[in-house]
Amino acid sequence: MTVKPSFNWLRLRRLWRPAPVRRHYDVVIIGGGIHGLATAYYLARAHGIRDVAVLESHYIGFGGSGRNTAIVRANQRTPENVRLYDEGLKLWRTLTDELDFNLMFFNCGTLMLGHSEAAVDGYRMLASTHNLLGVKSEVLDPLQCAELIPGLDISDRPAFPIQAGLYHPPGGVVRHDAVVWGLAKGAAAHGVHIHQGCEVQGIDTDGSRVTGVRTSLGTIRCNRLGIMAGGYSTAVAAMVGIELPIHPLTIQAMVTHPLKPFLHHVFSSGAYHVYANQTLKGEIATGAHMDPQVNYTNDATAYYLKHQAEALVDLMPVLRGVRFMRIWAGLADMTPDMAPIMEGHLRYDDLYLDAGWGYFGFKSGPVAGKYMADYMATGERPEILEAFQLKRFLEGRYSGETAAVMKYGHWD
Amino acid sequence: MAMSEAPSAERSPPPGRLPPGPTCRVDFSRPLDFTFLGRGVRGFAGDTVASALYAAGVRTFGRSLKYHRPRGLYSMEGESSNTFMAIDGVPNECAETTRLRAGMSVRAQNVRGDPRTDFFGLIDPFDRLMPAGFYYRLFHRPYGLWPLFQNGLRRMAGTGVLDTQHDHGRDGLRAERYMNAEVAIVGGGAAGMSAALAAAESGLRVCLFERRPWLGGHLAWRVRDFEGEPLHARAEALARRLRAAENVKVFTNSPVTGVWGENLVTGFTIGTEDDPFRECHWECRAATVVVAAGCMDRPLVFNHNDRPGVMQAGAAWRLARTCAVRPGWAAVFSVADDQSLEAAVDLSDLGVEVRGVADAREAGRQDPELVAALEKRGIPLLPGWAVSRAMGRRRVRACELRPLDGGGSSHFQCDLLVANGGMQPRIGVLATAKARLAYCTHTHTYQPAELPPGVFAAGSMTGLRDPRSIEGSGRLAGCRAADLASGAASDRRTDTARRDADALPGPVAGCDIRHGSGIGRGAKAFVDLDEDGTYKNVKESAAQGFDVPELAKRFGGFGLGPGQYRVTGQNLAMIMADLRGDPIETATPTTVRPPLAPPSLATLAGPGHDVHKRTPLHAEQAAHGAVFRRAGPWQRARYFSDDVTCRAEIRNVRNNVGILDSSPLGKFRIFGPDALNALQRVYISDMRKTRPGRCKYSAMCNDMGHLLDDGVIVEEGEDDYYFTTSSGRAGATVEWFRFHTRHDGWDYNLVNLTDVLGSLNIAGPNARKVLQRVTTDDVTNEAFPYMACRPITVGDGVRARCLRLGFVGELSYELHVPSSYSRYLWDLLMEAGADLGIRPFGLEAQYCLRAEKGHIIIGAESEARVTLTDIGMGWMWDRKDTASKKVGAPALRACEKQPGRMKLVGFRVDEGQGSPRDGALVVDGAEIVGYVCTTRRSEALGWQYGMALVCDGHAAKGATLSLQEEHKPGKRATFSATAIPPHFYDPRGTRLRA
Repeated sequence: MTVKPSFNWLRLRRLWRPAPVRRHYDVVIIGGGIHGLATAYYLARAHGIRDVAVLESHYIGFGGSGRNTAIVRANQRTPENVRLYDEGLKLWRTLTDELDFNLMFFNCGTLMLGHSEAAVDGYRMLASTHNLLGVKSEVLDPLQCAELIPGLDISDRPAFPIQAGLYHPPGGVVRHDAVVWGLAKGAAAHGVHIHQGCEVQGIDTDGSRVTGVRTSLGTIRCNRLGIMAGGYSTAVAAMVGIELPIHPLTIQAMVTHPLKPFLHHVFSSGAYHVYANQTLKGEIATGAHMDPQVNYTNDATAYYLKHQAEALVDLMPVLRGVRFMRIWAGLADMTPDMAPIMEGHLRYDDLYLDAGWGYFGFKSGPVAGKYMADYMATGERPEILEAFQLKRFLEGRYSGETAAVMKYGHWD
Repeated sequence: MAMSEAPSAERSPPPGRLPPGPTCRVDFSRPLDFTFLGRGVRGFAGDTVASALYAAGVRTFGRSLKYHRPRGLYSMEGESSNTFMAIDGVPNECAETTRLRAGMSVRAQNVRGDPRTDFFGLIDPFDRLMPAGFYYRLFHRPYGLWPLFQNGLRRMAGTGVLDTQHDHGRDGLRAERYMNAEVAIVGGGAAGMSAALAAAESGLRVCLFERRPWLGGHLAWRVRDFEGEPLHARAEALARRLRAAENVKVFTNSPVTGVWGENLVTGFTIGTEDDPFRECHWECRAATVVVAAGCMDRPLVFNHNDRPGVMQAGAAWRLARTCAVRPGWAAVFSVADDQSLEAAVDLSDLGVEVRGVADAREAGRQDPELVAALEKRGIPLLPGWAVSRAMGRRRVRACELRPLDGGGSSHFQCDLLVANGGMQPRIGVLATAKARLAYCTHTHTYQPAELPPGVFAAGSMTGLRDPRSIEGSGRLAGCRAADLASGAASDRRTDTARRDADALPGPVAGCDIRHGSGIGRGAKAFVDLDEDGTYKNVKESAAQGFDVPELAKRFGGFGLGPGQYRVTGQNLAMIMADLRGDPIETATPTTVRPPLAPPSLATLAGPGHDVHKRTPLHAEQAAHGAVFRRAGPWQRARYFSDDVTCRAEIRNVRNNVGILDSSPLGKFRIFGPDALNALQRVYISDMRKTRPGRCKYSAMCNDMGHLLDDGVIVEEGEDDYYFTTSSGRAGATVEWFRFHTRHDGWDYNLVNLTDVLGSLNIAGPNARKVLQRVTTDDVTNEAFPYMACRPITVGDGVRARCLRLGFVGELSYELHVPSSYSRYLWDLLMEAGADLGIRPFGLEAQYCLRAEKGHIIIGAESEARVTLTDIGMGWMWDRKDTASKKVGAPALRACEKQPGRMKLVGFRVDEGQGSPRDGALVVDGAEIVGYVCTTRRSEALGWQYGMALVCDGHAAKGATLSLQEEHKPGKRATFSATAIPPHFYDPRGTRLRA
């Protein structure tokens, strides 16, 4: 690549312009998060379908796209998932170039900590799977973990002593807001309309076809409709009577005061329900497990602030003097097997759905958008999406992304 | 807490100090020595770190995040990171609020060496190259260079340095406290105290939280006469009454971190010398909350408003009045409210030369009394003026005042520039309590437009300024909260309080100044101090489409630093409304997020109890060298030696006799007329086939046919059953039964006996010999065959439920006794088996022993992709029974004949290879077709066995399985194995039945 000296960064232009609401679009996408914007971007860029509107009830990135801890990785459990996320990882760089917008991919690697024999067995399986698929992954002993993460307590003192780690060098952190804005910029540049403050109130159908959506900005007709509303997808799908096996759960995250860089990798621990990384600004951004009960709120709770502190200082006592600055919450749309639902021709010929990403919605955003755009443009399911059909839940064929039999909310 | 006595003023004050007045909190008779950048500094008891440093002449406390500009003392309340310092090695400690202790070591942050001469200060002029969001448009071309820039950015970012080698001396006891109150009051000023007193009159439990060390709010340092006494005396009188009220608990030094759902008020208390803890995390569940959090100065946005020497009115005033520190020699004020004018008069009386007072309000809106007082002291008042620029490179040397409607400027030499845009309420508590806040065009502040149930607002934050109004509003709020909490209808007392409050002066008109004139011309005017967000950056954000506060906040970084919304919130909203040309009342503030004050992780974590359960035999096993590991809530013995293959433990069970503490096993009794119906519903087998004195093995599935639990069921009497579950399911079982029978109205009782009963296993060929020695009951094979269950008497008459099972594949007895007898039974068996060589074995040995036998463990050989039938346990399922509506049966039926499912197979690793480990893949060429659940080399068998879940095409008996592992990229190992039925050891079960 040639180096062009330019002072582009000094030229301040709107990243995207507000557009008038047309009464009809070829494609309407519900949800102005990463998935919706990426789908719109690829529809316009890769397929030349520019008559596209993205409807967002708040502001773009209001939902999970702006509330996650921005961790990206491709060390999932099943080959179908690894392949998808691996392609997703490679897209950050491509998109940075395409969008001419620095998504700030910090390729620092991720370290998952195992605290039981069973977890270590699981990591051996993961590492073997990843390496076979050409995705780098390595099982580390506790000493090697401590070399990567200074301050980690690898003694027998913690409630859950560290037994091993799974290090995944291709992973890292991406600036989540930048992805939202960059995709909006790219989509708008190709003619996509982004309507913020546009709340979807109903979906109109006619026989086997979806004809349009009723919104707070009036009725908008369309030929094809995509539901990509993250944590709110169940509510939107319910407008056309589709019941999804998705439980929306609140998941919380927080940041500490900014510190000079000392944490050079993402680390996570299942036993403690903790994941943490240091942002470019120096804060320790850390996330917790999901709230136990199904709900649609973005409310943070005092419980998790305390829980997170307990877990972090048990794992890393050197953080005792650090202070929490901010806590927030978002929604995770959990499926029973922790894999997403990407479906087309869903009850109606022109209805598409991309939901159920749980807490993996950020890392998968662009790649999911890319393939959903293929699906919506051609009407043919891309091969890589075979594993993510809705019917697997009816057939009792879970994806195996989680080994454990999961329970959310109720016993069903 | 009593008001501290004014120290004797006989001696002249120390250097940098003013004569202590009646509101002084610093005790000059108690010097405290500490170091700043290694130099010795003297402060006094009652000082904060910042006040002591300021008195010692320190003006530059640190350097800013982005431009490395010198930053000084600004608020005295920790509203920005200006005075964040490293104290005793702990980074980001707020010097303004940290109480001084002797021997502290204080260092500046984000500097090399002395903050006055920071090398990176040379970045400052290059701000033109760094417009808002510049990093999104820079550094990524060519992409290969990005990692270099990224590392550079990382190094420049952040402030404090965390030492990962030490524990930071964050020692001292952390405490936790959980309280209930009918009325919680946030803020110990006049309004909060009045509310507490009013609520206490109803006899309710009242908790009052105040973040400062003393009560009184802003009255505590005001000496102005009001109704014949100084204001501080008025506050002291209230505080005395409050201390005397029996049902009021007062917490000073206690910032509130948030009000959460259902009025949960949380915060922490910073311990004093008198407290047994260093910091205490607390949570108060309150029926009602009165928020009287008071006001802070609204920062004034003008050129170079971040120079050391620019200060909030509250900060300069408090320095002088509570710390007896001279804030400056020559001061200029640019303010917009009467309280700040009072500060100017007061500072003048304390010997600070006030050279001019600009008031952004037009003439005639000032308190005439204060105008006269200024005039009397010869201080020029400039109504309709504001500061437009601070001058001086490292600190304020002069400033420029200008009329807001244009016109010529005036220059003043000064070393202190007190600036604000009037007062803004501390809206954080109300915001986290989910009050809806709206811009009020009278007070020009955010006011609660709608309060959630049980939340009341009072005091100066509602725009009141008259001390009587403030007290009256507090009293009214206290009465209303008490009425609501006690369920009483509004009583006469409340009506009186309302009438009184209505008769008093109402909210005072505020000032809507956005910024000083001439803003941004070749100078920086900061909207956000923490992350160096300037007025120009706000404009730049808007120009790029981020023209609502919530988006500008994220794009330009406003209110994301340690000060959060406090310095930035209202100004950003007002400026943005201006830039958009929107009416000011549409200005919406950004979301306030807890914690409102930053608690350290140590304080939140508290004493750090490691919560786990121990079995009754924990000590006995520890004495035998047990290595404990967490298993669910339990600490369980995993190994009894350093040998993690447990060869000796396994050998002893296979050839002799071992003893296992299986107490966490789930143990239940179910009885009642519908007990059998309930069992039929949740168990997959035909439960009518249970027999008295016989164990029936069965399993529970979920709706998807996944195996959830297995165990044995014994009929103990008519409609009376005893059953066991796996340890992991013990906690969920009762709820599981109740959920799946919730619509049936069945009459049964289900009792969880897990913790009530201890459980011990003895297993091995010599198990019977040991058991017979401790019981007089007949336990011969004829009298007590495999799968029998009956009570026996052991030792001196202890009744034990004895189950003859064979999980580990040997002759084995499981003895359930009341937990209190577990140790007796253990000792009895250990003694009886001593000559045989009985020894304990742990979970790992059990894991291997049962795997050799082909007995599965749920979660180890089952997962979310496989059902009961997939793992070869379909024989348990009573297919004919549809009447019971067995949980999971429809799914089992649907999945039973599906092709392409994973199946559990056993395998034998072919000889002459190494040993694969759990988690190895089963591959077919480059395709993954399954994985190894468990594999071990068995001494008893003499070969390596294992169990794997594989796709059904590879599950045929005799099939060759290719195993592959690659735990590190490039380090691949492959093995071949042969599929065999997963009954490796004693496949006919003769040893079980022996």
